[in-house]
Amino acid sequence: MSENAHSDAKALDLLNELENILESDPLIDEVGFVHPSQFATLKEVAGCAVSSQDVSDHESTNFWIRDHKLGISTQVLLPLYKAAKHAFMAALREYKTSGNLPGKSGDDTLESEVMTHSKALLMLSCDFGTAWNSRKFIVLKKELMPIFMNELLLSALVLSYAPKSERAWSHSFDLKATTSVTKCMKVVTCLVYISHKAVGYQHNFWKMFNSAMDNRERIRASGKNSRGLNSGDEMRSKMNYRAWNHRCWLVSYMTREQVLHQLEKSRNWASLHVADSSCFHYRRRLMLRIYEDFYHTQADHSSGYNFKIYNIWKEELDWNEALIGRYVGREALWLHRRFLSSYWIRHIATDLHSVSCQFEHESSIDIDVGSFIDHELHLLDSCSTIPDDDFEDFQAQAIHSATYILWLTKQIPKSHRIDLQEKLRARDLKRLLNMACPERSSLWNCLVDLNASKIQPSCERIKS
Amino acid sequence: MKITALLVMKVSPDGSDPVILANASDVSHFGYFQRSSVKEFVVFVGRTVAKRTPPSQRQSVQHEEYKVHSYNSNGLCAVGFMDDHYPVRSAFSLLNKVLDEYNKSFGDSWRTAQADSTQPWPYLNEALAKFQDPAEADKLLKIQRELDETKIILHKTIDSVLARGEKLDSLVEKSSDLSAASQMFYKQAKKTNQCCTIL
Repeated sequence: MSENAHSDAKALDLLNELENILESDPLIDEVGFVHPSQFATLKEVAGCAVSSQDVSDHESTNFWIRDHKLGISTQVLLPLYKAAKHAFMAALREYKTSGNLPGKSGDDTLESEVMTHSKALLMLSCDFGTAWNSRKFIVLKKELMPIFMNELLLSALVLSYAPKSERAWSHSFDLKATTSVTKCMKVVTCLVYISHKAVGYQHNFWKMFNSAMDNRERIRASGKNSRGLNSGDEMRSKMNYRAWNHRCWLVSYMTREQVLHQLEKSRNWASLHVADSSCFHYRRRLMLRIYEDFYHTQADHSSGYNFKIYNIWKEELDWNEALIGRYVGREALWLHRRFLSSYWIRHIATDLHSVSCQFEHESSIDIDVGSFIDHELHLLDSCSTIPDDDFEDFQAQAIHSATYILWLTKQIPKSHRIDLQEKLRARDLKRLLNMACPERSSLWNCLVDLNASKIQPSCERIKS
Repeated sequence: MKITALLVMKVSPDGSDPVILANASDVSHFGYFQRSSVKEFVVFVGRTVAKRTPPSQRQSVQHEEYKVHSYNSNGLCAVGFMDDHYPVRSAFSLLNKVLDEYNKSFGDSWRTAQADSTQPWPYLNEALAKFQDPAEADKLLKIQRELDETKIILHKTIDSVLARGEKLDSLVEKSSDLSAASQMFYKQAKKTNQCCTIL
């Protein structure tokens, strides 16, 4: 019994220590769980980098704090978590019962207690829903900008050790959803930073966030928020669907300049991470936004903007083709191409056609669907050679290119279909597909035959 | 991040552990507290793969979302840790280039090396930065024709590189390259089936 009490007291000490650290350094930007043997190496590394005056008071082997990085020993995780959970639940219960009583005097201390304990708890367990919810409840009652900022920072911090935590993402989302419009823009600005950073694993976040705060002042002064998206970070983490999803959602809040800027900025990252379809999806979202803008603003129905959209699409198509050549057999690239071609054929080329008389002097513009298809066939030909090796990338490339062309036959205007069909027959797609992936031969036969038979009767009719 | 690390090693035919001659890695995209373990794993996996790459052979080992490429040119072996989608041919033309440069700078001195070198080789760090974009390595590919002729062997798991009866788990346990912290990470990652969090 006394042993239990002793260990409880020890756990409570640990919790106090953690909460003191969290309070004493509000700039902590990364949390990690550390093996006890790592403390020595961490000290060594920091020892030569940091001057001795900075040797912190927390010389214990339970926590490590320096350069705003907080390490928690894996040895104390369990008792610490239990203590944090217990303290949080008790504080929450008390807060809830007091909420029913009149007289607000006691509320503040209870509130701050809930906030302190829930923060400690979230450092240990990122998806603790009750903790997030209680924070949301308290924060939304206050409706104060600095508090919102702090909450965004907390979500960012939690994301540093759990970059895919659903709760942390939705916490920042909820904050945004309930704030008023003017506040909204400010929060959005910060959210852009957070998503930037989460996509970029939280490294330069503090630098960025501080500049975001500065920007906010500037934005307020100038009444604009165009600088909000300006940051020099890199997107480092891979396959973080939530982070990208968050950014896609932000697209609808961006100005036209920001959209164009983002399109430019994400290009380099995308060209280095072709396996990540999310970034291409983000680009599609941006491009659609540009296109929608153009379509809905009648005032912009000028040839100038038309030409701009043409250029954006053309550039993306060329860039996509270069990547397809460099990264053999990457599906995300071919899927991106499908999007580009379908918009190209259905909208860009037709829209431009209606105003094409204005473009006659522009020799660089080619909106003829026929020559577009010829170009795609050329791409198919360049992807059809399969060398003999263990790597299946060339096979994948051949399959992606062949299925892309089959898909394309459905997208183009009827007048071009017969022509394309003829050209495809000469290339013998079925043989190519069966060679690249014999396991699916029945699918290939079915696909190619179905495609041919749809055109065949009309061909015959024409001939007779 | 496309290339996490590049290493040059001496591989003896007698089957002893390869000696590290040069090692450059960029672990900045990992969490602050994981970096030391990642570095240890790079050394451990690099040594494991190089040791099992016979002379004048090229092989690639798939490990989580990484590919470890290894080329042994008569005892001098270059190993690269690339993202899965870094083009294979570009990766090997880079390894070729690294070995060429090593020979140019150090000649045959590596043959007598007995212990791991801790001396940095500036060229390797430059290469690590420069060739992050495979477009750069593509330029090398155009110069090196002979590469197209040798077949590259692909192992879909690290276990398939190991000899019969060898187990990765026991290699991890025995390895002097891995600290207690890294061993813990390995076990933890294996338990939650998320090895990718630690290379």
